[in-house]
Amino acid sequence: MSSATQGQSGPTDKFPVIKFVSIAIISLVIVSPLFLLIVASLKPDRFQILAEMGSFKAFIVTNPTLKNYGDILTFSGNQPFARYLVNSVIVLTFTLLGGMLFNSMAAFVLAWGRLPGRAIILTLMIGLYIVPQESIVLPLLNIMNNLGLADSFAAQILPFWASPLYVFLLYQFFSQIPRDLYDAAVVDGASPFEIYWKVFLPISLPALATVAILLGIETWNQYLWPLLVTQSNYARPISVGIAGFFGADSIYWNLAMSASVVMMAPVLAFYLMFQKWFVSSVISSGVKG
Amino acid sequence: MLLPACIIISAFLLVPFVMSFPISLTNQRLIPRPYRFVGLDNYVQVLTDPVFWQALWNVTRFTAMVVPVQCGFALAMALLINQKIPGRNFFRGALFLPAITSMTVVCVIWGTLFQFPTGPLNQIVGFLTLGMAGPIDWLGDPRSSMPAIVLLSAWQAYGFQMVVYLAGLQNIPADLYEAARLDGASTWQRFRFVTLPGLRQTNIFVLIITTIQAFKLFTQINILTQGGPRDSTNTVVQYMYTVGFVGQKLGLASAVAIILFVIVLLISLVQRYVLRDRK
Amino acid sequence: MTKMKTKLKLGLSAAAFAMVVSVAGFTAPAGAAALKMMFQGDPYEIDAISDAAKRFEAANPGTTIELIHTPHDSYNEKVGAAVSAKQLPDILELDAPFLSNYVWSGFLQPIDSLIDKKLLDDMTPSNVAQGTYPPDKKLYATALIDSTVLIYASKKQLEAAKIRIPKGVDDAWTGEEFQAALKTLSTQPGVKWPIDLFRAYGTKTEWIPYGYEPLLVSAGCDLINRDTWKATGTFDSKACVDATTMMASWVKNGWVVPQSAGANQFYADGRPAALAWGGFWFYSEAAKALGDDLLALPLPKFGPKGASPNGTWIYAISKTSSDPQMAGKFLSFMIEDQKYQEAYKAHSAYPGLKSFGAASPLYAPGGPMAVAFEQAAKTAVPRPPHPAYPAITLAAQVALNNILDGADPQTELTKAAKAIDADIADNDGYPPFGKK
Repeated sequence: MSSATQGQSGPTDKFPVIKFVSIAIISLVIVSPLFLLIVASLKPDRFQILAEMGSFKAFIVTNPTLKNYGDILTFSGNQPFARYLVNSVIVLTFTLLGGMLFNSMAAFVLAWGRLPGRAIILTLMIGLYIVPQESIVLPLLNIMNNLGLADSFAAQILPFWASPLYVFLLYQFFSQIPRDLYDAAVVDGASPFEIYWKVFLPISLPALATVAILLGIETWNQYLWPLLVTQSNYARPISVGIAGFFGADSIYWNLAMSASVVMMAPVLAFYLMFQKWFVSSVISSGVKG
Repeated sequence: MLLPACIIISAFLLVPFVMSFPISLTNQRLIPRPYRFVGLDNYVQVLTDPVFWQALWNVTRFTAMVVPVQCGFALAMALLINQKIPGRNFFRGALFLPAITSMTVVCVIWGTLFQFPTGPLNQIVGFLTLGMAGPIDWLGDPRSSMPAIVLLSAWQAYGFQMVVYLAGLQNIPADLYEAARLDGASTWQRFRFVTLPGLRQTNIFVLIITTIQAFKLFTQINILTQGGPRDSTNTVVQYMYTVGFVGQKLGLASAVAIILFVIVLLISLVQRYVLRDRK
Repeated sequence: MTKMKTKLKLGLSAAAFAMVVSVAGFTAPAGAAALKMMFQGDPYEIDAISDAAKRFEAANPGTTIELIHTPHDSYNEKVGAAVSAKQLPDILELDAPFLSNYVWSGFLQPIDSLIDKKLLDDMTPSNVAQGTYPPDKKLYATALIDSTVLIYASKKQLEAAKIRIPKGVDDAWTGEEFQAALKTLSTQPGVKWPIDLFRAYGTKTEWIPYGYEPLLVSAGCDLINRDTWKATGTFDSKACVDATTMMASWVKNGWVVPQSAGANQFYADGRPAALAWGGFWFYSEAAKALGDDLLALPLPKFGPKGASPNGTWIYAISKTSSDPQMAGKFLSFMIEDQKYQEAYKAHSAYPGLKSFGAASPLYAPGGPMAVAFEQAAKTAVPRPPHPAYPAITLAAQVALNNILDGADPQTELTKAAKAIDADIADNDGYPPFGKK
């Protein structure tokens, strides 16, 4: 491991080849179940997919075609796949913007705000994370209707702007930041918001990336809540839209599979974008170095 | 600055949850119509139902299996892909793929892999044991159903913990490793005395959160086994969902939610106490 | 690093702006539809329904139809949520056995006077039965289609094994004959399981009460006594214990495709399952693989009388509908729409209208599925039309599934019968039911 590169908190480079080979093998094993998905998405006939499920034939395609991919995009105006995708991107973008801001502000205050009853708030946060979503969707639906937000984007965005999970996660990270950093900023006369904005956020990229990635995936794959709160195709996200291919009496496997692949692509890109923030933060090189 | 988060969490999480308490004291149905106060009847009914206790035992078993497997594997993978190796971004992406796959698709895939008796997993088992181990009815045999769910769940979700660990690793000052190296510490010693202590906060977070997530096990159960065979994979949330959405007994389902909340809260408090800073 | 900081700040600054925009801009869509209809179905059904709606809008200027499609697997949850949030559409598709529960709960209205007289007269008796609420004998729902379950087989295979092929419902296999056939088939080359009971459908669907109740009824018992509306004494009676013990013995003998083997074993490579106890919808899948060799046979008689299921997804009009007349008009228009009917015909839909049956070569006399139509007329038994149905189906699914998985039949059935009776008692007998 060269000391010039970032992100090497891990140990040495004694066995680079072994490491490379082992990670390659592990990755292959981990990813292999997904080949089934890809392969099925290339088979043209849903009956063929069904007949070949349950054996190794599910991993082999002899007559690959991209027809399914064309079909889902032009499938029919009544299941506007592209619209579902755009809807999901809208929900994702706005959930993320608010979510990162509000969760991190709250975590900052909890970690450094000398708040009375901090322990109680934290316990309450953890407690609220226990509540399964399935148990609150009905009252939540009533609340949304009363707010006039039925069948809207806002109903899918607002409730996820703050979550005990991410407040707790960011709290754990913020509270590890060395005290001197905070004190120095206070001495410089910075306001709490300035300390948060100018000092803490910039050195918390890995933690923020984590929240972005996890919140992003959670939002993208939400099912029960958007199912209940959306009615028309107006704000319906891809996760609910795709369930239409899993029909009543017969499942449109070819379309369901290719649609699932398409659904994964944007989140993968999104993850790869944010994982670049996983770099050793200023704490290591700047403060103590 | 705390206010926006507090308002949102209160309005969209705390209030709906608190609302379920009065409901749990009534015989309210999913489809609204006159209902009456029934006191603690719902709680008595839940707590005297052997299926509820079976479900609670199942999630406890699930948690005990999945937490170490999933967190351990996630940490190992985080350590691996935190290193400078060729194609690092590629591996980071590949190892994260299961985590971005929606649970419906995961269940389709694993339902096929687990298929009895000729599914791919059984063929691999047969091949590795030279046909000595007969095909296993992974999801259909009460003895293997929960371990099979553990395998599927850990595969799908370890990416979550991996990312958290990855972020945690960035917070360990590089100079500590440098110092350890100068002291002639072995790889293991560096892991034991630099990495692990450096991940303390991360570990607390990961353990508490993974435990809570495990206790809420639901989606994959609802899609794949609906709690069967013979309640061997029934979980508390599946039980609640069935009672509420299928049986339409909202009052009873609310009581299950409250009971689950109390149990998991107690566990989390114990965990926090055990993992507390002893400084 | 600096670049990232800038990006981050830009992003978070945008957040403030985003809040304003998203609350202001992303609320409900403008212009409420005049008529809302909630439904589930396959992609081809979504198209057929949407197109019919467009034609209706064109024929009735000023009326718009808003379609709320909901994925099949989550449909009942969606209905429950919509009712509980007082967000009911004008027209609501529902699974037939739940009709009594919904009518009793008070959110549907009779449609006898709302739909076309012509359509009303065209409905098959089974279709009328699935849409009728017994206490007031009024029609609350209608549909183009109905359903049934058959035994699917390979003609060549049965002939090779010298198993008698029934010609119609009247000479259906007896229980003994059926079990002997299973036994014979289990020794045939290539047969891994003599029958697929579609256990893979699991307990998320209505399959277990729908597909298996006829066997109990034919064997002389039922999920619940349909006069006294008590399950104890019926569902846990000796006849039911014997019938379920018989089913469990098939599983124990290794004759039944396991739940975890998927729903494709009848036509998967090598045809591992010889027979299939499947819904009418299975015909198109099976015919695709077997072609002319595919046989559709009536369900066996396990007692003096045969029994078969009915009931499918049907359309009802909510009490809160702003314009019930228009809702009835659209419903009639859609069901009688030629192109709508064509779409269903192309997917081997089981006719719920006499005219549609006559026009479907598949079900017309002499057609490969004619026996299905005959069976519905002679032996169809609806699932218990009682408001306690949610509790009945839940208890029945748990019990029957556990029994097939090896649990003691008497214990399971007693538990289920008690659970059903407890639910009915909790609701004071669901008046006017149980007050005879």
